[in-house]
Amino acid sequence: MPNYQRILLLRTIKIILLAVFTLISIAPLAWILLSSFKTNREIMLSAFSLPSSFDFKGYRVALEVSPILRFYGNSLIIATASTILNLLFVSMTAYVFARFEFKGRALMALMISSSLLIPSSALLMPIYRIMVSIHLFDTIIGLILVHTALGLPTSFFVIRSYFQSIPKELEEAAYIDGCGYMKTFFVIVLPLAKSGLSTVAVLQFLMSWNEFMFALVLTKSEKVRTLPLALNYFTTQFSFNYTALFAALTMVILPSIIIYIILQEQVTQSMVTGAIKG
Amino acid sequence: MQSRNKKWMIILFSLPTMILFMMLYLVPMLIVFITSFFEWKSGGVFHPVGLKNYFLGFTADPRMIQSIFNTVIWTILQGIFHVFIGTVLALILAKRFRGWKIFRTIFMIPNVISSAALAVIFLNVFNAKYGLVNSFLSSILGKPITKNWFFDPNSAFLTVTSMWLLYSGMIVIIVLAGLFSIPEDIYEAAKIDGASDFVMDISIRLPLIRPVLGTAVIIAATSMLREFELIFLTTNGGPGDLTLNLPLYLYKTSLKESNYGYANMMGVVLIITGVLCVFFINKIFKMNETDM
Repeated sequence: MPNYQRILLLRTIKIILLAVFTLISIAPLAWILLSSFKTNREIMLSAFSLPSSFDFKGYRVALEVSPILRFYGNSLIIATASTILNLLFVSMTAYVFARFEFKGRALMALMISSSLLIPSSALLMPIYRIMVSIHLFDTIIGLILVHTALGLPTSFFVIRSYFQSIPKELEEAAYIDGCGYMKTFFVIVLPLAKSGLSTVAVLQFLMSWNEFMFALVLTKSEKVRTLPLALNYFTTQFSFNYTALFAALTMVILPSIIIYIILQEQVTQSMVTGAIKG
Repeated sequence: MQSRNKKWMIILFSLPTMILFMMLYLVPMLIVFITSFFEWKSGGVFHPVGLKNYFLGFTADPRMIQSIFNTVIWTILQGIFHVFIGTVLALILAKRFRGWKIFRTIFMIPNVISSAALAVIFLNVFNAKYGLVNSFLSSILGKPITKNWFFDPNSAFLTVTSMWLLYSGMIVIIVLAGLFSIPEDIYEAAKIDGASDFVMDISIRLPLIRPVLGTAVIIAATSMLREFELIFLTTNGGPGDLTLNLPLYLYKTSLKESNYGYANMMGVVLIITGVLCVFFINKIFKMNETDM
């Protein structure tokens, strides 16, 4: 086969691959969005037809019959709180692990790193029992603590490697100037590790925002449940109102997509760092 | 004084993490390992039974055998095909033609929305009456198609698999990061020799990012040991137990049947499978331990 024909063939294959994977990535979402404006009848009649009119009735119904806004609020509180706690706890620990020699350091680091290998689903039952026994079952605080802990190993390794890359001299100068450990850490060290902290914040927030299994098992009341669980309700609540179901789905996925598109460089970089260092 | 301060600071700074780690990793792990040798059920049943849970699980429980089988198949499929798809797409995008970032974003979207949402979307896309897939097939074939993809025993497994196998945006960004870290001048000699892009992809780029590919395989394969909501919210393991996997069976055994010792035996199996997975993938890709 002559060279130019081979190049043409390769290029065609590439274009087809990109087109196919673009289609399967977008078509389901576009269909959900479009259908959220259709009537039930239109949905049953044809999947491809455009809605006869763009009205937001489905959205109104979805908001009326389900506590979706409350779930939004819960998700926001839990993801934000677990991100702040995770950052605070992990950065303090990673700092002393990166800077000081002490007894047990190697052992503790080994334990944290081996916990990276554990599928969190394996710990489902004991974590459930522990949360019940310390009376944190079905509480926001319980879920915050579990989400904070789930992100510990990854956060620890990302942040520790950031601290290791920051030169010691600045802190030493601060100590000589009579700065205490606390002040040095919060005023001098933390700001220097800003990019590492934001990487971890993105990973932790996304993890908590999307987490389903522990949120399902550790909660039972509407007051506490998070957005991913809302969908569990919707499939039964709306079994005959497809418009409202599709509207609810759109409301659940759209914010994630928009935020991802706005912050995509940061998110992409965080995920890569998390994947390779974690 | 100084060193006493330092000691206190080390303790104070490590304490919150260590407490949380003990409470939600170390103690649960000990519970899982120890009670996997116990018969432990609700109502105060708690006594050691040695290896009985393991023996029962691997020889006499068809649901357990089915869920191990499914978990292993999915782990292998994900570690090979999912990573292959992501790598091919990354190699295409790595040429940075105009608009390549748009594709990267598009491929990532199914990975950034919560998988609970993805599950419900797929439940509708494959719906027998009004789903996108049947409507599409009907209009192409010219006759009404009413296949119930998720609940027909012939298609359930593949339909469930389709929810994760093809969506490799995460692999795309990891492999792309690896490709972009190769210094440009490495290609100079090959270009002068007249090597085509395709040849350079296979013989230069891929071998250079071997550790990154290993990481990608580990992430893809081990994700299948955690997979829960995509199955739970669609088929819930059915029809029969055709799409049951270990995490879902563990959930059912512990929270629905309150058979805790038996469930924790599955936890041990999951943990050991995870460790073996990482170990062998590391070996296959000859990854440097310290890179991990």
